[in-house]
Amino acid sequence: MKLEIKGLPSFGYADLILEPGEHFITESGSMATMDAALDLNPTPRGGILSSIIRKVFLGESFFMNEYRNVVDRPLRLTLTQKTPGYMVLRELRDEVIYLQPGAFIACDPTIQFSTEWAGISSFIGKEGLFRLVAYGTGRIIFGGYGEVLEKDVNGELIVDTGHLIAYQRGISLKAQLSGGIISSFTSGEGLVTRVQGSGKVWIQTRSLQGLASWINRYF
Amino acid sequence: MRPGSSAARIVLDQGESVTAEGGAMIAMSDDMRVQTSTFKKNSGGLLGTFKRLLAGESLFFNEFTAGSHGGDVYIGTTLPGDMEILDVTGRKIILQAGSFVAATNDVSINTSWQGAKNFISGESLFWLELTGQGPVIINAFGVIYPVEVDGEYIVDTGHIVAFEDTLRFEISKVGASWLGSFLGGEGFICKFRGKGTVWCQSHSSSAWGMSMSPYLKTVK
Repeated sequence: MKLEIKGLPSFGYADLILEPGEHFITESGSMATMDAALDLNPTPRGGILSSIIRKVFLGESFFMNEYRNVVDRPLRLTLTQKTPGYMVLRELRDEVIYLQPGAFIACDPTIQFSTEWAGISSFIGKEGLFRLVAYGTGRIIFGGYGEVLEKDVNGELIVDTGHLIAYQRGISLKAQLSGGIISSFTSGEGLVTRVQGSGKVWIQTRSLQGLASWINRYF
Repeated sequence: MRPGSSAARIVLDQGESVTAEGGAMIAMSDDMRVQTSTFKKNSGGLLGTFKRLLAGESLFFNEFTAGSHGGDVYIGTTLPGDMEILDVTGRKIILQAGSFVAATNDVSINTSWQGAKNFISGESLFWLELTGQGPVIINAFGVIYPVEVDGEYIVDTGHIVAFEDTLRFEISKVGASWLGSFLGGEGFICKFRGKGTVWCQSHSSSAWGMSMSPYLKTVK
């Protein structure tokens, strides 16, 4: 399989060539173009319960798509995301990665999924009640709005709500006010997430909520 | 600045002209002559103007003609994204309305009726037909990339920028079942058949707009 992320940094998209017999898993709605001979099979990856939790609590979709090459020549598939921005291609080696809603784009079929309780702190910090867990060995593609920064955390880091898109096992989240009661609201920051532990976090440089609140001022 | 913030710089010799959609010019040399009209030569006269309005293009075209020292015109677009130059010589290109930016005067622009397919797909797709000779500048939301079709190729409706007239297209489903297509989140797609090039955009401005809508205030 040939897999390339093109269009970086502002309009990242994935350009894939699947050889006969190969298949790839993608999130619902991420296909931009594809050879008509590719077979599409929507599947509730991770099981029915996980898929229900994914749909109800994470705002993701119940089904994921499996694209399969069932003919005898290479077939092309291009994938996109709803927001303009960066796309990260990561090679997982028996690794666990937590993904925020909307971040997941596609992965090798060897990657497994489940949903996990994220903790009350995560919920208060508006980072969700559940989180999507991707684990195993294989490639995973996830993306965000704007540039995506990869940071190694050893100790603590404060991340503004709406900007965390993925993090490794070993990292835990705690919501807190950005400053004192008054300054949190006057500074415009409000709630932030305190990221603790040891591992990598991925942060998007822009947020949809930020753009929307800027647009809302005109109406 | 491709693909995020593209702009085009057109260098004109003395007396040469280029026609661009209304509002596209960012900067130009000071001795450029600008003529605004509702129709472009070879493009359907006044009736063509109204058809273009329906197609989502601006009502006006601006024709920039360089003075005796030649001159430059800088052209930009409304949405951030890529720009591309297509040469229409020897072929007919169907272009999505809204993606047209500029062309030289030997290019003919007409609206193209592609049948009820426009409405069924749910996108507001109107098309322009480009024939004649010379370059056309197009723009899109995202990166513009070509796909050489030889057989059948599917493009999600929000991602089509332009295609060669040698291709047939129909609004259809992905894979073998309609249920599969809708559950898979793709719904209606465009299936191209034949031999020719389709120019695609990496992102869809309508999907981008919809992803913002839960956060936007409703206005009564």
